[in-house]
Amino acid sequence: MRRILLGSLLAAASLNAFAEAPGGPDCGWGNMLFKGQRGLPSHIVASTTNGSSGNATSGMTTGTNGCRTDGALTYGGKPMLLVGNMMDELSEDMAKGEGEALTTYAVVLGVKPEDRAHFISVTHDHFSQIFSSADVTAEQVLDATFSVMKGDERLARYVADQA
Amino acid sequence: MRRCLFSLLLTGVWTLLSAAPRPDSSLQRLSEDPFWLLLGHYQHDSSGRWYSHVNDKRFFLAEQGAKDPYAELLATLEGLYKPMTLGDKHPQCVYPARTHWLRNHLKLDDLPALPCDNYRQWYHTIDPHSAAMVFPAAFLNSPSSIFGHTLLRIDPSGMKDSGSALLSYSLSFGANIDDADNSLLYAWKGLMGGYPGLFVIQPYYEKIAEYSRLENRDLWEYPLDLTPDETARMIEHVWELQDTRFDYFFFDENCAYRLLELLEVARPGISLTGPFSLTAIPTDTIRAVRDADMMAGVKYRPSRERELMTRIKPLNHDEQQWVSKLAEDEHYLQDPAFLALPVERRALIQDGAYRFIRYKVTSKERDADAARRSYSLLQAINRDSPPPLEIQRPERPESGHKSRTFEFGVGSREDRAYAEYGLRMAYHDLVDNLKGFPLGAQIEMFRAALRQYEDNHWQLQRFDLVNIRSLAPRGELLKPLSWQVTGGLQRAPGDGDDEVLVAHVSGGAGFSRQWSDNLLGFAFATARVEHNPDFGAFLGPAMGFDTGLLWRNTFGNMLLEADSDYFHNGEIRRRIHLTQQLELTDELGLRLSAKREFSKFSEPISELQLSLRWYFF
Repeated sequence: MRRILLGSLLAAASLNAFAEAPGGPDCGWGNMLFKGQRGLPSHIVASTTNGSSGNATSGMTTGTNGCRTDGALTYGGKPMLLVGNMMDELSEDMAKGEGEALTTYAVVLGVKPEDRAHFISVTHDHFSQIFSSADVTAEQVLDATFSVMKGDERLARYVADQA
Repeated sequence: MRRCLFSLLLTGVWTLLSAAPRPDSSLQRLSEDPFWLLLGHYQHDSSGRWYSHVNDKRFFLAEQGAKDPYAELLATLEGLYKPMTLGDKHPQCVYPARTHWLRNHLKLDDLPALPCDNYRQWYHTIDPHSAAMVFPAAFLNSPSSIFGHTLLRIDPSGMKDSGSALLSYSLSFGANIDDADNSLLYAWKGLMGGYPGLFVIQPYYEKIAEYSRLENRDLWEYPLDLTPDETARMIEHVWELQDTRFDYFFFDENCAYRLLELLEVARPGISLTGPFSLTAIPTDTIRAVRDADMMAGVKYRPSRERELMTRIKPLNHDEQQWVSKLAEDEHYLQDPAFLALPVERRALIQDGAYRFIRYKVTSKERDADAARRSYSLLQAINRDSPPPLEIQRPERPESGHKSRTFEFGVGSREDRAYAEYGLRMAYHDLVDNLKGFPLGAQIEMFRAALRQYEDNHWQLQRFDLVNIRSLAPRGELLKPLSWQVTGGLQRAPGDGDDEVLVAHVSGGAGFSRQWSDNLLGFAFATARVEHNPDFGAFLGPAMGFDTGLLWRNTFGNMLLEADSDYFHNGEIRRRIHLTQQLELTDELGLRLSAKREFSKFSEPISELQLSLRWYFF
C-alpha cells in the first residue's frame, strides 16, 4: 500500500548550518530533465475520501521538495528551486517560446517586466544550449541560462551579481 | 437562550467567588464572540453545550478548553504574559491569531514583544497577500472525483507583477491515512470519521502536478476578493492549526467545510458554513463562496490529458498515426514521408507526440529511452514551434445542477398504475441535466425510491448504496477502460411475484466509443451476485453484458440500453430500456422512461414512467 498523504505542517527544519549544497542535499540540484511525476495515486482512493496524495511531502512546512529554506540559500535561490522542481515544464515552454513556467523563470531571475518578452525569445533561440541534452541537470540548466544571459546585451545586467 | 441563562449564572457565581470585582463578565462575553468561537472551532452540541471540532488536546491551553471557550480564553490571556524565555513555544508564537485579536480587543499594550522566529520565517516564506479557491474538476474515468476536492491557493505579494501562480502555496485539508489500511477499510473509516484530518501547506505547483498531470483533472481557480489583511488573518490562524488533528468525515466535516471556516476567519461576520449540516460537496461550497460575493473571477487550467486531446483532435487519421510513430521512435522525424508533410502539420504532430510520451510516462520512474525521445521531439518543436494551444473553457462546474435530487413519478407497470417518490443524496447519473458535468460520468449515492400502487400498496422500490458508471471513450491514442459498479436493493422478477426485493452487488468493465461530441456508445461484460429469496441458494451469481447508446440531443440526454444476466441457476434476466430527459431549467428536469423486462419466472413486463426531477440542495 502506497503512502497516501501527507506532509504535515512541521514548524521548521533544523537551524544548523551545513557545509553542503545550499538548500540541503535533497534540494533538486541533481534533478534531471524528464524526471516526471512519480507515484500515481489510486484514483478511487485519492478522490473518494479527498485524501491528498503527496509524493514528496517530506516535512518542510512550506515544502520545497526536500529543500531547506532556512539556511543560506544564496546561489541560485528561487530560480534553482524552480528549475529543480519544474524542469519538465520549463524545457517544454522554452522549446515553444511561451508558457507559465518560462514566465515564472524570468520573474524569479529578476528580469523586469519590460525585458521578459526578450528573455523568452532569447532563451527560446538558445534552447539547445540551455537544455543541452536529455540528461541535463537543474544545476547545469541554471548555469547555462546565466551564460546565455551574460551573452545578451539586455539580459547581462541581471546576472552581474550571480556567481 | 439556554446558553445565555447558563452564562449569566456562571458569571454570577464567579462574581460571588471573587473578592474584588473584575471585568470578568466582559471576558465572558468576549469568549462568546463569534470570532473567538471560530478560532477554537467551537460548535453547540444538541443540548446547547460547546464542543470543539478539534480533536487534539495540544490545541488547547485550558484543561477543559475543548468544551469551554471561556476557560480557554482565560488560559490564553494568562499564557500571553508567560516568560519570554519560552521562545518559539511561547503562546504568543503558537497562537498568533488569538494574540492579534486579544491584543486589539483588550488593548493589551503591555504584552511582552517576542520575535517568534519560526513563525515569522514561515510567514515570510509564504508571504500571503491574496487567495484563490481551487477546485479540481471531475476526472471522467474516476467518477468518484465528481465530488472533487477544494483547496485554497495563497498568493504572494509579487503575484500581481508575475501573473503566475507557480510561486503560490496551496492550503488543503485532508485525512491522514494509515498506510496499512486496505482500500475498503479506508473508504469505511473515511466515511465514519476514523481518520484524523490535517491542514497541509505545500507549493502550489505540486498540486498542479498532482491534479493536472497525475490525475488528469482540470483545475478551476477562483480568485477571492480577500484583502491582504484578511488573507493574513487567515494564515495566522493556519499556523495555530499546524499538526492539529480534526475529526475527518467524508461527507460533512471535510475539506470543503474546513476551508469555508478559514474564510470565515479571514472575513469575520460572513457565514458560509451554516447550510452544510449534512453534506458539503465541493461544488456546493463554491456556490456558497460565490453567493457571499467573495469571488473575483475564474481561471481554467486544463489537465495535461485535455491538452493532449485538444492538440490531436484536428489531426486526421494518418497524422494521428504519425503522432503514435514519433512517440515510439524519434528517428521518424527524419523519415522522408514525414518531412514531406507541410511544416505547420509537422509542428502539430511533433507537439502531439511529445505530449503523448509525457502523458504515458508521467507516473513512471525516469526512463532514459523515453527521455531521449522526449528530448529529440523538444528539439524538433524548438525548430518548428506549434501555435499556442487554445482550449475553450467548458461550463463552470458550479453552474451544474445541485447535488441532492427529489423525484416524483407516475407510471404504469403492465396494467397497474403507480406513483413513485425518490430521494438521492448525491449526485448525477448519465441522463441528468448535463450542464457543468462531463458526458458519460455517473455517481450516485444513497438513492432510494418508494412506490405506491393504485390499491395503496406501498413498497420500497430500490435502494442504491452506490451506483457508479464511467464511460471513457477509446481513441486512436488513448485506450482507457470503461467500468461500472453498483450495489443495493432492487426489485426483480420472481416466482409468483413479479417484483421480489433482492440485494445485489454488480460490476462491469468494457469499452466506450465516442462518435461525436454528442454520441457515445458502450459495451460491458458484467458480473453480479444476488441474494434472492426465490433462489434456492443463498447467493446467486450471474454473468452478463450491458450495452447502450448515450445521445446528447436538443432536449437533454437520451440513453438506450440493453442488458442481460445469465444466472448460474438457469434464470435468464434481460432488460431493454429507453430514457429521455427534458431539461426544463437548471434545477428541474422531466424524465420519460420505458422499460421491458424478460425473465424465466414470468411473461415479459413493460413499464412506462414519467417523472419530475428536482435538484434541490
